[in-house]
Amino acid sequence: MNLFEFCHGIIHWLVDLVNNLWYWLGDFLPWYFGDLFTAIGDFAASEGHLLFMTVLVESVVIIVVALINVLNFLWIFRKLSGRILDFYGPYYVGYRIGGWLQNLADGVKLFTKEIITPTKADRLGFLLAPVIFVGSSVTILAVIPLSANFGLSTTSEPGEYVSAGALFALAAFSIAPFAILLAGWSSNNKYTLIGGMRSAAQMMSYEIPLLLAAASVFLLAGSFNFVDIVDAQHDMWFFIPLFIGFVVFLICLIAEVEIIPFDLPEAEAELVEGWTTEYGGMRFGLFYMTTAVRSYAGGALATAFFLGGWQGPWFVPDEIWFLIKAYIVYTVFMWLTWSVPRVRIDQMLVFGWRRLLPLAVLNLLIAAALKSGGWL
Amino acid sequence: MAEMWINMGPQHPMTHGLWNLRVKIDGETIVAAEPEVGYLHRGIEKICEARTYPQIIPIADRLCYGSSLTWSHLYCLTIEDLMDVEVPERAEYIRVMAIEMQRIASHLMWLAAYAGDLGLAVGFTYTMRDREVLVDLLQALTGSRLTYNYPRIGGVAHDLPPDFERDTIRAVQYMEMRLKEYEDLFDGSKIFMMRNVGIGILRKEDGINLGVTGPSLRASGVDYDLRKDMPYSVYPEMDFEVATHEDGDCYARYRVRMDEMWESCRIIRQALQKMPKGRWRIVAPRNAPAGTGLGRVEDPRGEAVMYAVGDGTDRPYRLKIRSPIFVTVSAAPKILVGYKLADVVAIMGGLDMCIGENDR
Amino acid sequence: MDARQRPKPTGIVLKPMRRTGKQLARTLILGKPNTVLYPEEKLDLPQIYRGKHVLDFKKCIGCGNCVLVCPNDCMWLEKVEDPELGKIERPGVDLGRCLFCGFCAEVCPTVALHMTTEFELADRDRDNLRLGPLDIRDDSFGETFIEERQKRLVPVLDLSKCTDCEMCAGECPEMCIAMMPIENTDRKKPEMNLAKCLSHGKCAEACPEKALTMTEVYESYFDMSEPDLVLEKCSGCGACARKCPSEAIYMLEMPGTEKTLKGGKKGKPKKRAVFVLEKCVGCGRCHKACRFDAIDMPGVRK
Repeated sequence: MNLFEFCHGIIHWLVDLVNNLWYWLGDFLPWYFGDLFTAIGDFAASEGHLLFMTVLVESVVIIVVALINVLNFLWIFRKLSGRILDFYGPYYVGYRIGGWLQNLADGVKLFTKEIITPTKADRLGFLLAPVIFVGSSVTILAVIPLSANFGLSTTSEPGEYVSAGALFALAAFSIAPFAILLAGWSSNNKYTLIGGMRSAAQMMSYEIPLLLAAASVFLLAGSFNFVDIVDAQHDMWFFIPLFIGFVVFLICLIAEVEIIPFDLPEAEAELVEGWTTEYGGMRFGLFYMTTAVRSYAGGALATAFFLGGWQGPWFVPDEIWFLIKAYIVYTVFMWLTWSVPRVRIDQMLVFGWRRLLPLAVLNLLIAAALKSGGWL
Repeated sequence: MAEMWINMGPQHPMTHGLWNLRVKIDGETIVAAEPEVGYLHRGIEKICEARTYPQIIPIADRLCYGSSLTWSHLYCLTIEDLMDVEVPERAEYIRVMAIEMQRIASHLMWLAAYAGDLGLAVGFTYTMRDREVLVDLLQALTGSRLTYNYPRIGGVAHDLPPDFERDTIRAVQYMEMRLKEYEDLFDGSKIFMMRNVGIGILRKEDGINLGVTGPSLRASGVDYDLRKDMPYSVYPEMDFEVATHEDGDCYARYRVRMDEMWESCRIIRQALQKMPKGRWRIVAPRNAPAGTGLGRVEDPRGEAVMYAVGDGTDRPYRLKIRSPIFVTVSAAPKILVGYKLADVVAIMGGLDMCIGENDR
Repeated sequence: MDARQRPKPTGIVLKPMRRTGKQLARTLILGKPNTVLYPEEKLDLPQIYRGKHVLDFKKCIGCGNCVLVCPNDCMWLEKVEDPELGKIERPGVDLGRCLFCGFCAEVCPTVALHMTTEFELADRDRDNLRLGPLDIRDDSFGETFIEERQKRLVPVLDLSKCTDCEMCAGECPEMCIAMMPIENTDRKKPEMNLAKCLSHGKCAEACPEKALTMTEVYESYFDMSEPDLVLEKCSGCGACARKCPSEAIYMLEMPGTEKTLKGGKKGKPKKRAVFVLEKCVGCGRCHKACRFDAIDMPGVRK
């Protein structure tokens, strides 16, 4: 049973239940009300309405599962940083589950704080920036399936998802620089402005190697669909033939989610908190959460593109395999993050344009050679 | 982007204290810099004129949070020069051992702040964790963790606690093991080298002309260390080398401080070996004669000088403090111009700012 | 180190990652992190640690040296009624202003004031930080505390019993006792050079009146100022002797100063204060008590 059938069954059952009540209620009413009631009940039982409601419930389920995963990511982030940095990490809130509730507690605390807008800020831009940033990032989650059975689809066929899902995910991934630049500019603060500028430069220059590395995967798989990409890795996970692309993809992901070797937009030492300096309360909380959402999306993309997606031995469900791989990717990110200092903006751009771009092109050539040679 | 001024401070993660660095940037390149100090002025020199001689020792501790022991030691040296007091030999050895431990602790704190500035969080926590070993030792020796109030005019406050030699040798061994780890963590990292090599070059002539002292000057290739060139206390009997480096960039300053920690480990071992038995304190006179006293020591941050004028009473007539960091921060604009905005943290972090002694 | 010999970072970021990976393994799998979970666990503090003050009422003589030496003026003397000790004066301390330098414990002549390892002193009310003498009283603390300052056995003179027999001066093997005449009186008093004293105790054995007793005295490293009598101004009222916490002031009669009263009878002779400086702790209370400015004490404010 896949997610669509599950949700469809629930909706069907609910509509039947409500309609029984509804028709029974209609019997007691005068004929003109009774007809209206019957018409509404018939509409509710119609196939189009059922489909619409099913998709709605599906997206709610997917978002909830994804956000729980994001909480897990935040927990891994804090716990792992703590252990690498030789302290405990979250400990007291949710003592029995390793401090897992700490993030919820922080969220509640941030909700109670006043939202401050600077007097001289551009109010519309200041308000819109988090909306775009959070919205575009959460949209990625909608198209990432956890397995052939767990994803947003409109039919009961397994694996019938958004046909260009991977392309959509990458597109949604790269809306963020616009929001960051908007946030940096509208805060009317020199630190945020420099942070926004850096962010724009960084994300645009690392977008290209990222897309080229992904393009080699699309080339080998011959599809933009997640299910096809994962099925194409049935014999060999793509990170073996496309090892250069894998490394380039990971480095670019680190730059895209702005963690330490490339966290120049929010370089803590020189630009106080970078482009989030002026944001307080839950707006900051949303930025913080969205960073984890993007980390999760990045880990999921790397898993789906290079690490065989949900493929793995049978004794663990597919969805869990997918998540385990995404967690491992993120753990490696964290390990790297806490081991190295931050680079400088010019060094970073030089690295992006002069090292990663040629490597990505080389990787694309390898993929093309493999494809045309028919080895994969 | 047009040129604009950016205030880095007074409340800023880079400053490590309360001061303001105004930099004028063109895009990301610095075209002018202007340090502003004085936010932490407490009038210590004036406070000292209303205190008796022993009462100033805890105030001298408050000059610098990073290396408070060297400052109270310097004050005691100055007043001993003024009063003509002979310090027992055991006290001199205890003092040398304690201030070398303080030097390592201070350099570790600098390394922590420096790593934190560069974004290397493990560098921060590991160095602070290992500084704790030395702070615990100093706590067992002096009774306090940060402001020790340990040297006295005519000796030191306490004798070594029981088992102190054993603990110190163990701590020194632990430190030497850890220093290797830091060298892996910092020198072994390509990104750390990218951020440091060739950044913030201070040439030899500039360093001498601007009056820069301490590790920052030694990193420019000048072999100038008061412990060798104008020895005080029992440093002539210690066998150690002055760490110098030729390049004068941030990496050289980092390297000089790391080498100094190695040398300090050597000095601690020697001081423990050569320490004689005997008294550790004598009764110092209450009143100083009319006259002047001068003390110069090699602080972890440079050459620190105190000059005291006595007028026959139990309070000093005047106490002048020369802070090495005040001079170094005045030289900062010369080093900063021409580098990127992100290099400000590497350069200013590498100079080891301490605002307490700077503003006094 | 030459620039050309600079170590080449091998493996770009692998060396530091190896170090952090080791740390991760150590804290995650093999053991626990370095953090001390503060409210549950606490660090061991050395006995020498300077925390909250503790006062031994029985040892304290109420001299106020701690008040004198305090750099922040955060101590004061307070009058207390005690069922055992009667009306006494004992110091209190304002922890809100204290800088925990430890001078008060160091200067205490009878080692009655200690600093404990208790450091959790925060309070919501600033007034609660002003601890009176009764708040810091702990008479049994001195037994658990190993005092680092050295004790010495020195002869202590009770001038009221002394008969000027000069036996002690003759007995001293180090020749550190000299009989000095007291000005304007017919008495002499043994002046001891305590720097030379080796605590043989022969003077105390020789003393026929038991005026000299060997007493344990803690070494003091503070050079406190000493009182100096201006004989012309002294009226012989005895206020200083009553105030002296260490009973170092004796009032002696000066023969030849008797006033002739009506009827040819002679009145009582005038008295003068005599200081036994070996017992003096330098607190300056005599200086403060004297209403005739007859006692000079440099460095002590009235």
